[in-house]
Amino acid sequence: MVTTSCGMCYGTCTVNVRVEDGVVVGIEGVPDSPQGYGNICAKGLSSLMMLYDPSRLNYPLLRTNPEKGIGVDPGWKRISWNEAMDLLTSKLGECLKKDPRGLYTVGSPTFPAERAFNVLCFRKAFGTPNYYTGGGGLHCGNGAHMIGGIYHASWSVIPDFKYCNMAIYWGCSKGHGAGHAANVAAKQAADAKARGMRLIVFDPFLSTQASTAEEWVPIKAGTDAAAALAMANLLLSEYSAYDKEYIKWKTNGPYLVAPDGLYRRDKKSGVPLVWNIIDKKVEPFNSENVKDCALEGEFDVDGTKCTPSFQLLRNHLKKYTPEHASEICGVSASTLRRIAKDFGEEARIGSTISIDGKTLPYRPVASIYFRGSQGHYNQAWDCMSLVLLNHLVGSADVPGGALAFGPPVHLGYPGTGRLKYSVEPDKDGLLVAKNWPYAHLPYPPPEPKDPPERLDLQDMFYIPTYTTIMAWDNNEELWQKFKIPYRPDVMISFATNQIMSVGNPKTLMKNFLQKFGFIASFNIYSTEFEESAADLVLPDACYLERYSSATTFPTVGVSCHGTGLGEWIWAIRQPVIKPMYERRPMIDVILELSERLGLRDRYIEAAREWVNRAYGGDLDFKKVLDPKEKLNFERMLDIIMKDRFGPDKGLDYFKEHGYLKWDKRVEEVYWRAFNDVRVPVYLEWIIRAGRKSRAIAEKYGVPDLVDWSAHNALPEWRPCPTHTEKNPEYDLEAFYWRSALHTYSMTMQNPWLNEVSQNDPYTYTIQLNTETANRKGVKEGDLVWLENSKGSKAKGRVHITDGIRPDHVAIAANAGHWSKGMPIAKDKGVFFNELIEIDKEHTCPVSLGQDICVKVKLYKDGGDRSG
Amino acid sequence: MVRWGMVIDLKRCTGCHSCSVACKVEHHTPPGVFWAKVVRIESGKYPTVIRQAVPLLCMHCREPECEKVCPTGATKKQPDGRVTVDSDECVGCRYCAVACPYGARCFAPDWKDYFTGDKKPSSPYAEYSKKKWLEESDKGVVSKCDFCEERVEQGKQPACVNACPCEARTFGDLDDPESEVSQLIKKRRGMQLHPEYGTDASVYYLPAR
Repeated sequence: MVTTSCGMCYGTCTVNVRVEDGVVVGIEGVPDSPQGYGNICAKGLSSLMMLYDPSRLNYPLLRTNPEKGIGVDPGWKRISWNEAMDLLTSKLGECLKKDPRGLYTVGSPTFPAERAFNVLCFRKAFGTPNYYTGGGGLHCGNGAHMIGGIYHASWSVIPDFKYCNMAIYWGCSKGHGAGHAANVAAKQAADAKARGMRLIVFDPFLSTQASTAEEWVPIKAGTDAAAALAMANLLLSEYSAYDKEYIKWKTNGPYLVAPDGLYRRDKKSGVPLVWNIIDKKVEPFNSENVKDCALEGEFDVDGTKCTPSFQLLRNHLKKYTPEHASEICGVSASTLRRIAKDFGEEARIGSTISIDGKTLPYRPVASIYFRGSQGHYNQAWDCMSLVLLNHLVGSADVPGGALAFGPPVHLGYPGTGRLKYSVEPDKDGLLVAKNWPYAHLPYPPPEPKDPPERLDLQDMFYIPTYTTIMAWDNNEELWQKFKIPYRPDVMISFATNQIMSVGNPKTLMKNFLQKFGFIASFNIYSTEFEESAADLVLPDACYLERYSSATTFPTVGVSCHGTGLGEWIWAIRQPVIKPMYERRPMIDVILELSERLGLRDRYIEAAREWVNRAYGGDLDFKKVLDPKEKLNFERMLDIIMKDRFGPDKGLDYFKEHGYLKWDKRVEEVYWRAFNDVRVPVYLEWIIRAGRKSRAIAEKYGVPDLVDWSAHNALPEWRPCPTHTEKNPEYDLEAFYWRSALHTYSMTMQNPWLNEVSQNDPYTYTIQLNTETANRKGVKEGDLVWLENSKGSKAKGRVHITDGIRPDHVAIAANAGHWSKGMPIAKDKGVFFNELIEIDKEHTCPVSLGQDICVKVKLYKDGGDRSG
Repeated sequence: MVRWGMVIDLKRCTGCHSCSVACKVEHHTPPGVFWAKVVRIESGKYPTVIRQAVPLLCMHCREPECEKVCPTGATKKQPDGRVTVDSDECVGCRYCAVACPYGARCFAPDWKDYFTGDKKPSSPYAEYSKKKWLEESDKGVVSKCDFCEERVEQGKQPACVNACPCEARTFGDLDDPESEVSQLIKKRRGMQLHPEYGTDASVYYLPAR
């Protein structure tokens, strides 16, 4: 029996894996572990089938067909690892000499810790700024993570299941079998529902969470912000249900804003000013004299009329009447009123609760969003609008409210006091995350690069996780105008299927992947990506065959802990058997490559920087490693663990026990009450940061790179391109959803998961409303085409249901494979991405995330057009 | 005497299929054979529509229809309430599969590999799995859930109960009025599926709403 962390999704449950005579024969949860409580989902249980899949890559493969493209046979030829390493070293060596920035690094978000050492540290050591999350691709949460970071110092938010009484879910599934801390959240959500927590789900279709909720509110895709802003308006203007104390002391609501939209600042200290109500004068927000401050009114500051930002928000929201929102989102004004009123009342503003002897605000309501609400043109402001509801009633990171994933505060492992990190305010008093998986923090905005250095121009903006600008039709023109001197040269990819998961595969291939001279991919299958684009394929070890430093830290990122009080856990991933055949863990190859390329010291430095940012502390590998010592991952893990947990808790300890756990503290879980940090109800800094990015775009002759008017301080609802589609022929809004049976595209090749997906009415079908189906003469199981206005098409079988809006069709993501290397996944389900575009019109101008809803017409296969 | 039974809380269940797959890991059932499965039932008209996931398994009836029609006596009612199939006595006539009102019985003419569909195992695990399946259930016979006899004998929970992420399943003694299952059935008004058939099932469902 070996204890390790499941790697079938980023829930990373602790599992015991049974090995008999060298064969892995069983897998179970570990009841003692807070990561899963001993429970395990269908995906985790199906690990065995992934390990022993005869379609797994077992040897390095070299492309013999010089032609690349979707549907082209690569003509794989088996080569030795020696040949593969020589080829890799020479290609990377040439790139290093020519311009290291020509290297594009890509990684899957499913394995954040592996990705850090395999990709992020290597990228830094190599000296290229180019990276994107090709595995998660369009599922990745630019808007969601940006807003999670700014408001919660975390990747996302989740209800405090133990105390929450009313949760509103906007296109998210938290606690329903998928995603972050999946199994822990599933149990917690079930406990909460059994306790009586009301769950209200806004979603265009009757998702799993909607079907188990108290109320399903069928909303049009991409219109969440309109509904939420109307609810915010009602809370402020009609129901007077907002937490004045929270807004005064935990937000920038009292900061005075001048008519130019920017803060009025103290001349001496430079910090924003507030109106001291008691002394009737302006003072720095952080002055000890300020015992009470104004949220409303107009105040004269040296002859300029200034307004508290809360007042600006309030005025701004007035146009979002429920009636107006109803026309946009398709939810009745009375429903919006009822839910907003309940939310305000249930928030019990002013009430407190005592936990472990600490008295804390008690706000048992939570407005929760994730992937669904952020897959739109307006995603940054959509997510801001949804999270704003919590910050109006003060239900952020207090008992019962919306809690940060993570949480982002850890006061240290009790045995050593290390692994310590917290949040802190910047000089404007706003929340800064200190434990973050990426180098650029969500706030404060980094200085934009002039000119941008990255091929996706990410570094001339202030926030994005990554962008797909490098695959726009006009990318070459943009690179020329911005004077980017290099071009795509070599790509190294870790566990991604970019063809299936980034966006329109033809666009990505033509505009981006075809431009590379050499692409090496580490993966477990030869997916559509390898077949279409890779020159060299390296057989990676799967999660059961390799090590990972920690699957639950950094806590605010992709991996996270269960919400609320309970236990912290540092869990490793370790091989339960040796990698079979010639599979090699990518990290071993990367360390060897670093040595071969003379990047050893730079790799160690990059690892030091990442480890200390993600895990806290001041570890320096250089001080521990002998300069002549060959890099070895197990040795590095041993150093990290001993540094964090003490000399008796190195890798050997973790190999034996799998994990180490200790109690969470009230000050960590409900950190907001204990830290003097504020969040913006008025995003003043976006005006400033947006101007800087815009100035760069103008300087290089691309003034309309994005719609700069969205770089504003107050939340707006803006339509997606589909909302303004004029042609009535395209009468159905198509959107994708993520089935809890699958993690991106990887699990589609698993025969057990395939079989249960086939038994499930939804995973492999196009969901169509009964009335719409009748109108179009479509019957259950009919083969139909969905076609967008540009002629892109996707084919699939219809499942007729009353659980979807009549004007929408739903498709489960990442199905419809065609590669020979994934025979189980081949021809199962519908490939949604064919229908979407990678271009400016479908890119959020603020977060640079992709808009992925699309208007389609539906007609039966065989040319029988009835749509 | 103990009478084993199970309670499934539909309020907690999300229909994630963990039970379906946990059973595969435990019992090595070949393709097409599901001792545990999940169906979804939809009722109502948009937008007032209700969808419910209902996990299914052998109901281990006190009055099992399958036992009555079995011509060889392979299907047996055990003193502990479980209904079992003795694969040595089963001739694969499948009368039981037709008689079972819950569709709980499966028939596999032969073992097949999950990846290749062949009789030859494609991996060491498939080989192990095949051996276990032939030992436990055999080909050409009817098989079904046995409430994980091998686990329960060791004092463990059945595999589906153990795995369930939502902790929707509770296993225990229906004859003990103080057991968790008996208490849940009493307090939450547990229901048997199709009580009108008079099967007196040992699997109870707690209402979602």
